Amino acid sequence: MTASDALWWDARLGPKHASMAARADRFWSWSVLLPLCHLVQRAKRRYCRPLVIWARTDEGRFLRSGMSVLIEGYPYLEVEHPGGSHFVWFMSAADAGVLATQFGMSHPPALGRVLLDNAIVLSQNAGLAGRIGLHAAAAGGDALLVVYDRCGLTRLPATAALPLSVRWPNDGRFFYADELVAEALAATLDASR
Amino acid sequence: MYMLGSVSFMSKFMMLDAKAPATLGAVVEAVTRLSTLGEAKILELVSAGKIAELFPFKPAGDQPIPPDTMAEDELVEASALPLNRKQRDALIQSSLPVTSRKKHRLVSKG
Repeated sequence: MTASDALWWDARLGPKHASMAARADRFWSWSVLLPLCHLVQRAKRRYCRPLVIWARTDEGRFLRSGMSVLIEGYPYLEVEHPGGSHFVWFMSAADAGVLATQFGMSHPPALGRVLLDNAIVLSQNAGLAGRIGLHAAAAGGDALLVVYDRCGLTRLPATAALPLSVRWPNDGRFFYADELVAEALAATLDASR
Repeated sequence: MYMLGSVSFMSKFMMLDAKAPATLGAVVEAVTRLSTLGEAKILELVSAGKIAELFPFKPAGDQPIPPDTMAEDELVEASALPLNRKQRDALIQSSLPVTSRKKHRLVSKG
């Protein structure tokens, strides 16, 4: 993801998403988020991997349809198994209706699954066994919890302790994938690689 | 705390209200403050539309909006492997728009 991708998303999809009250990302400005994420994580001696998902339109050209910022080498959320993971910090999938009606993409892919697959594969290739974690923004309400549950992630019990460096109380909105879950999720998309 | 490249990077922001260049000190201070927060807290602030209260800046730049679509052979696939330091630095630099180069007055040729 470059500044151009962020600018495009903010200009072309941002205003449409902003009017959808149920979307957790309705106030996100990727043009600000992208450099901000890099700076904050460099201050913590970590690196971000911002990614763009391009999907094919009906005319055969490619359109930006998903954006994410991953944090490499983040503490794994299951404190009983300390180690590293990739943390999906920000993740946004374009609204399927907008893609269909305004950008000529009749059959958008399951973008949530693809965005999570990116994180799993990068984690595997970084030697972190596919372990990932994320926090479902409260602005997404219960619907966002359902999305991550349907994607196959495991919800961290609200009573579970968190790694100290997470610096946020466990509000019951953390999800993760351990090695087995990650491998199973990745395997389901192997045919399309 | 920051590398030299990050300092240069942080000087490329505009203040939101004044629409004037942000001072390096102000950006460093805001980033330092944000870095004391957890990622979930920052996610919540951004999602509530409140990040400007802690980071009242936007990147400076004047890039046009790119076209909606691209052909397959125009796309560059991201590496699925860990990046080296040079690749990471390039990724960070590419997160800010290119600013117009300042024009310098030429010397008179009398």
